[in-house]
Amino acid sequence: MRMTLRHVYVLIVCAFAVFPILFVLSAAINPMGTLASTDLLPTGASLNNFANLLTSDTYPFARWFFNSVFIALVSSFASLLLSMLAAYAFSRMRFAGRRVGLLALLLIQMFPQFLAIVTIFMIFTEVTELYPAFGFNTVWGLLLLYLGGALGVNTWLMKGFLDTVPKELDEAATVDGATHAQIFWRVIMPLVTPILAVTALLAFIGTMSEFLMANVFLRDPESKTLAVGMYGMIAGDHRNANFGMFAAATLITAVPTVGVFLWLQKYIVSGLTAGAVKG
Amino acid sequence: MRMRALGVAALATLAVAATACGSSQSAAPAAPSASASAPTAAAGGGTLVIWADPSRVQPLKPFADQFGTENGVTVEVKEISKDNQMTFLTASQQGSGPDIMIGAHDWIGNLVQNGAIDPVTLTEEQKAAFSPKAIQAVTFNGQIYGAPYAVENIALIRNTELAPDAPATIEDMIEKGTELKKDGKVKEVLCIPVGQKGDAFHVYPMFASGGGALFGATATGDPDPKQVLLGSPDSVKAFEKLKALGEKGDGALRTSLTNENYIVNFAGGKCAYLVSGPWAISEVKKGGITYDITAVPSFKDGKPATPFVGVQSFFVASKGKNKALAQEFVANYVTDKDVAKALYDADPRPPALTAALQEVQASDPDAAKFMEAGKDGMPMPAIPEMAAIWEPFGIAETAVVKGGDAAKAAAAAQKAIDGSLKN
Amino acid sequence: MALDVREAPREGAGPAEPAPRPRREITTAFVVSRIAVLAVAAAILLYAVPPLAAAGSWVSLGLLCAVSALIAYLYLTRRFIPVKYLVPGTVFLLAFQVFPVVYTVTTAFTNFGDGHRGDKAAAITAIETGSVRQAPGSPEYSLTVALRGEELVFLLVDPATKQVSLGTADGLSRLDGAQVGVTGKVLSAPGLTVLKAPQAAARGPEVSALAVPTGDGLIKANGLSRAVEGKAALVYDAGCDCVRGEGDTWTADEGQGYFVNAKGEHLAQGWQVNVGLDNFSRVLTNPTISGYFAGVLGWNIFFALVSVLGTFGLGMSVALALHHPRMRGTRFYRIALILPYAMPAFAMLLVWRDMFNRDFGLINQLLGVNIDWLGELGTARFGVILVNLWLGFPYMFLVTTGALQAIPRELTEAAAIDGATPWRAFRRVTLPLLLVALTPLLISSFAYNFNNFNAIALTTDGGPFPAENPQVGGTDLLITYTFRLAFGAGGAQFGFAAAISVFIFTIVAVISAVAFRRTRKQEEIYA
Repeated sequence: MRMTLRHVYVLIVCAFAVFPILFVLSAAINPMGTLASTDLLPTGASLNNFANLLTSDTYPFARWFFNSVFIALVSSFASLLLSMLAAYAFSRMRFAGRRVGLLALLLIQMFPQFLAIVTIFMIFTEVTELYPAFGFNTVWGLLLLYLGGALGVNTWLMKGFLDTVPKELDEAATVDGATHAQIFWRVIMPLVTPILAVTALLAFIGTMSEFLMANVFLRDPESKTLAVGMYGMIAGDHRNANFGMFAAATLITAVPTVGVFLWLQKYIVSGLTAGAVKG
Repeated sequence: MRMRALGVAALATLAVAATACGSSQSAAPAAPSASASAPTAAAGGGTLVIWADPSRVQPLKPFADQFGTENGVTVEVKEISKDNQMTFLTASQQGSGPDIMIGAHDWIGNLVQNGAIDPVTLTEEQKAAFSPKAIQAVTFNGQIYGAPYAVENIALIRNTELAPDAPATIEDMIEKGTELKKDGKVKEVLCIPVGQKGDAFHVYPMFASGGGALFGATATGDPDPKQVLLGSPDSVKAFEKLKALGEKGDGALRTSLTNENYIVNFAGGKCAYLVSGPWAISEVKKGGITYDITAVPSFKDGKPATPFVGVQSFFVASKGKNKALAQEFVANYVTDKDVAKALYDADPRPPALTAALQEVQASDPDAAKFMEAGKDGMPMPAIPEMAAIWEPFGIAETAVVKGGDAAKAAAAAQKAIDGSLKN
Repeated sequence: MALDVREAPREGAGPAEPAPRPRREITTAFVVSRIAVLAVAAAILLYAVPPLAAAGSWVSLGLLCAVSALIAYLYLTRRFIPVKYLVPGTVFLLAFQVFPVVYTVTTAFTNFGDGHRGDKAAAITAIETGSVRQAPGSPEYSLTVALRGEELVFLLVDPATKQVSLGTADGLSRLDGAQVGVTGKVLSAPGLTVLKAPQAAARGPEVSALAVPTGDGLIKANGLSRAVEGKAALVYDAGCDCVRGEGDTWTADEGQGYFVNAKGEHLAQGWQVNVGLDNFSRVLTNPTISGYFAGVLGWNIFFALVSVLGTFGLGMSVALALHHPRMRGTRFYRIALILPYAMPAFAMLLVWRDMFNRDFGLINQLLGVNIDWLGELGTARFGVILVNLWLGFPYMFLVTTGALQAIPRELTEAAAIDGATPWRAFRRVTLPLLLVALTPLLISSFAYNFNNFNAIALTTDGGPFPAENPQVGGTDLLITYTFRLAFGAGGAQFGFAAAISVFIFTIVAVISAVAFRRTRKQEEIYA
């Protein structure tokens, strides 16, 4: 009985989550391709929008897809490492300026990023002249920029999780003579897999949908990410003509995220820490 | 297990070190050549960088390449998807902008006040080759600031099956549209975008026909930002006419018709009349509608319904690295008929070059019809102050369309604009 | 680092296997890691130094070396352990977040914005260049670029007379004996090397730079194949710090960053100047801002709070519902639940906006009603919150799911054995533990939603607007309506926008810092 209630509740929320997406799906398979129709059921069904999207000369969608996944994977792994290191220090060590540092990390996120574009241009104009490999129009420059945001929320997320992992574990290891590096790599890292997986997923999604910086960074049609490329599809006067393809693109964008989720899911719900506490 | 963890850690660190070393190794030989690369690149002719919006990158590429081959340079066409004008200004200012920018002529005022573009010198012969309206549009403070390539304005597109005759007045059009709606042949009287924030661009012809005006004129006939006329008695009358067409009146203007759905409704046969521009045509054709294009009609006994005319142009960036080439490209190369035609083929907007328009006309009468519909049009004011108009105007439109008081809406818009222009 | 994620669970996956018991090792790992650090530092230096040296940026070079040395030292010594963990992320944070924010704040004291982007010299150049007009009656020369020795010169052909002239920085002189082709290009000239198009293009900057003085104007290249004689109508005079021409004088006004004439009119091109606290006082005295501030702030706080609590409540409740050993189909549910988060947010915001359309929207259609959702104040506010709930709850669902794994099941089981109802067990055990991990996220989520520009800009764009005021809409957040003032009219006013941002930042920061103080207690109790 109680399980049924759980199912009913979850199903209701799932319906809420999915129904706008069904609407997009309907637009994507509707040959007239519009987001402005009243109907959840399309007037006709065809995969033309998907086919057009994948064969389009104007929109190298497959490239965008690859770029996005590549950037998101690299960026999320790198930022995961950076923020994990910082979170470990914040959670396990006590040092002067710890609380201030944490607060500063929180506050820096609160300044509207929008205005920073001017400074980003300033910095990367210099970088482009000195180190073209990390300048404008390069994936590596964009990745560097993304690493700037690695500490932000992710550190808080992991620090919060780490605080719930009993300290006795690493204290015991310290007594055994392990160095801080050994504790980090061998004791902490294995314990926090769910956290790592969640954070990795969040970082992945965050990068996939990042738009503001990628728009000014990537200027070759072939070097764009999905978010930027798709925005271009509906920018300006062509929005109507492209809505069908746009809807199809929106759906395909979710595929890598769901893929990464499926891959990480078993870590997220592994319940590993529970076992470790017992030990 | 411990060994494995150790191994992983060591491997990872080594990998980081190795990639870092790898890049440094490849960079080490590259470094001296980098300092030497400036003259080498120059010997090769350097590069010319063009920024465009997504729909124009592809059609430009072949011509850019051809220009590159002729002049021994590399021409790169880059794509900016959003906030093109602002991105161009910021990038230019910081020194990483393009040599050539493509945009609408109404940017000119703002680009000039930021010192971002240079005048373009066209010969008398070249000027004569363009439609006068196009040249008028790209002229600012007596100087030509861009090479025009397409002229666009909105017109009335009508479904000739439902409405065989072009309406002479707005009243005729509303009458016919209402009749069709009553008979259940259409769902909307007129398809024109309004939305929750209004659409000044599309409603302007009707507003002008109702006697409304945005700016007074200076001695030279240019729009005068010191005289905003949106709240003037004439403009209030025009807003009252819009109100009569609105939701509490004829129902021709509706906030639920938006930029996203108005074309598709027409293409789906849900209305007989559409107020839109050349960009709507591909969608209309896809819907299998037989259509004709005429000027937006005016009110009975009203003033002419003048649409805004927008001119797509090439600009030479002041801070470009290769201005001589940029000038060559803009002044002497894109003013070529074939380039104009190719751009048309990729994105059918009437070419600004008269010769190209005539050639296009043969295969596609629409271009000429749009041109004809816009012959009395007003080039969108290029003064930077125009930026202050759009939003208050649109919101005033929405207010009256929903049945609000015209005088109040006009006064509020006037006040907001005066406030931001510090008049 | 991917390896760690994959390796880790396998290591601990053995049932109830005790955590590894490390022994003291000053081993190869220690040595290797030190060497690696040195190698990385050296590699970065090797890569970064040459371009800097070539460009002659000695200050940057010094800074780079100092930082590298510091980092190398930091990782070679056994001290400063916390710093070792913090430095990698902090370097990037400083460069790409802190520096931009600090720089932005400094622009709040200037008039930086459209018309005032560059410095005075740039404005003067732009004014003079923009005023150059073709000298009346002067020919439009066809241009050929040539070399006289190493010097770049112009060969100018008057199209009417076919007369060839030699143009140099010294002036114009008649040139005889040149061979002119049909297009008007000079094919050869005695004593000169005529450049072909690619060669001329390669010297583009030199071509642009060459100005041939004539009686009262300058002949400059217009592209690579034509040249015209022009004269600047406006000329800057350093003596009076003014611009003269067209029968008027514009004097530099360093307070405004404009050249102003006697009538108070200014030239279009201005420059960036320091305006002190003007932008801040504008924020405080602007009647549109001050008159509506309280109302907008109230709605803004409400929007942010409801967004956070709503997304957290919904996300947590589903996570809890799925967090049961006998729950089936969790994989399917979880995918469905994260889908909203996997879609590009901007696209879905637009979709939602269209679904709310009165006549063509899906929602009215499904409910069989005719509500102007985004056109009326109450429904519009409800609408944007609903959309934000949809967009945000998967995030909370994910982090709660993760956090729940970290709560030892024994604790909840113990509570159940003690006879606590599930609700009490949740209140006493699960929720407090969850909050330890999640309170900071709730704070940062509050801050994010407080400034959630996109959620408003892409749905209602602030609307509905009352007829009497087109500047402050019913769903406007502080950031959307102040940015409308800073960017909508009169071009982009970055300085003003920065000042506004400072105010908004102060508000959010104070609220967050107060909330943050409360986490100290939690940390001490549960850590």
